[in-house]
Amino acid sequence: MKARACDADLYREVEAFLFREARLADEGRYAEWEVLVTDDVHYWVPKGRADYDPGARLSYINDNRTRLATRIRQLTSGRRHAQTPPSPMRRVISNVEVERAEGSTDEYDVGANFVLYELAVQASSALRVWAGRASYRLRRVDGELRIAAKTVELVNDDALPNLTFLL
Amino acid sequence: MNGGRPNPRQTDAIDYEALVQEDRVHGSLYSHPRVFDHEMARIFEASWVFVGHESEVPEPGDWVTRRIGREPVILVRGRDRDVRVLANRCAHRGTTLCWRERGHSRNFRCTYHAWTFDLDGVLQGVPYPAGFRGAVSQTQLDRPAQVARHRGFVFARMSAEGAPFEEFLGPAGVELLDRLCDLSPVGRIRLHAGWIGHQVESNWKMWYESNNDGYHFRFVHASLLDAMPDTHYEDAVLGAEATNPSRAVDYGGGHSELDFRRGYTAPLAWLGTDEARVGTYRDALARARGDEGAKQLLWDGPPHAMIFPNLFLGEMNLVVIEPVAPGRTILRHTAVGLEGVDAALNRRILRQSEAALGPASFIVPDDATTAERMQCAFEAMAPIPGAGHGWIDLSRGIEREEHDPTTDRRIGHVSDETTNRAFWRHYRSLMAGA
Repeated sequence: MKARACDADLYREVEAFLFREARLADEGRYAEWEVLVTDDVHYWVPKGRADYDPGARLSYINDNRTRLATRIRQLTSGRRHAQTPPSPMRRVISNVEVERAEGSTDEYDVGANFVLYELAVQASSALRVWAGRASYRLRRVDGELRIAAKTVELVNDDALPNLTFLL
Repeated sequence: MNGGRPNPRQTDAIDYEALVQEDRVHGSLYSHPRVFDHEMARIFEASWVFVGHESEVPEPGDWVTRRIGREPVILVRGRDRDVRVLANRCAHRGTTLCWRERGHSRNFRCTYHAWTFDLDGVLQGVPYPAGFRGAVSQTQLDRPAQVARHRGFVFARMSAEGAPFEEFLGPAGVELLDRLCDLSPVGRIRLHAGWIGHQVESNWKMWYESNNDGYHFRFVHASLLDAMPDTHYEDAVLGAEATNPSRAVDYGGGHSELDFRRGYTAPLAWLGTDEARVGTYRDALARARGDEGAKQLLWDGPPHAMIFPNLFLGEMNLVVIEPVAPGRTILRHTAVGLEGVDAALNRRILRQSEAALGPASFIVPDDATTAERMQCAFEAMAPIPGAGHGWIDLSRGIEREEHDPTTDRRIGHVSDETTNRAFWRHYRSLMAGA
């Protein structure tokens, strides 16, 4: 475990990265958000716990880079009714944990809890609460941190309302 | 059964014949609580409802939990390998017996007083039995009056009186389920992918209508067409009004289809692929059905159809419409797995299912927002037959649809409201006919 522990500078760098990613997602700045992912990214929102093969069972989201690009193109088309107008939202991130990935010098396993408030203004203006833990594989590419994988285990489960923004 | 409570099937204070007309219906039918109560009694209790598929419970003791209307039930395979539908409610004090989505049990033991029921719903034993009269040994879990199946699709009718299964499903329902299952070289589907739930703040009937609405695609799903311009709906749904040969079909009995078969311009268009990429599948189909049979199946693909009231055959997906309250519905979907094909094909189907359906997909969330906007507009309405406002127009194509008197089928242009009228005509007969 000791070999995988991270120093305070790395911890602060990762935390700042997560805060920035969260702000871009909250504010619907998708072009800037998309820069943060690698070409082999896997963005996964399983149903329940992330303890199954997403190739064999349905998930809420199971995006490779191509499908994630389609998702963002749809969101930025201006005609995605489910996000027109966009939901005002803010998330709080906490319980950040950072480890060096096993067998790698430039990758980090990161986890963080979140609570997200969304005002679904598209129809009834219901205030929705989303909570969970995001697990990341971050990779250093040309000196910058990038998301190689993001898995979001939601506390909300079984019959979600529209989930058409980025978690 | 209902004790002293008035039976909603008999208290007919709402004039459904006046509120449901051939070319229009009143908006209050989507929002009024009494209408919803009547629907639960006259449709979800008194008529047949899709419950599940036998492949979901392959082994004795396997079970899944479902709802018939608002009634919680267990679909379970017994020791005799028979599949049964049982009330998910202890016969003693009513505790829910199974509170997970699926599981495997040797029996059902209630957590309250440890009453234990066998997989066929018969009481096996109770603690301290001396305190009960002898009759306790005859106790069983409640269950629907009738359970029937076709190609593994299990349907149930809660109440003792009502149409027989064959009359409910009809030749069209049989044909639709057959067309889906026949896409498997061995004629069997398997629900292996799990179910995803999507909660929408809208009335359940909007989902029958939305699933089989061929008019909205270009508008509600404009952003999908921007992001994914090569969707297979391009030819079959979106073709110009004058030239698109796809059809909207009212089969009677509440079943309807958007029949894209004539609108496809290539085999396997419905799967977004071509024969070269699924060669083993084509060969397996050809071995089972001959070259011509395989060719036809690959062209036609699965149906896009509604089996009244709650089952959507959404091409290679199944969707169950679960009414929760007048303004709340849960849509549950799964991918259809084909038996006798390679795993890659079923994985492809699963990926397509994720793209199309569910709360984070590219298609249905925009339908959900549309339905929620309708619900907001209907919320305050009361079911007053003479109302001068609040009517929903369902007249599109009524003048140009063809009616075949021998089969009682009505066939319209794919963008016509033939499918909506199919729903409401049957709805009216069940709601007003009692």
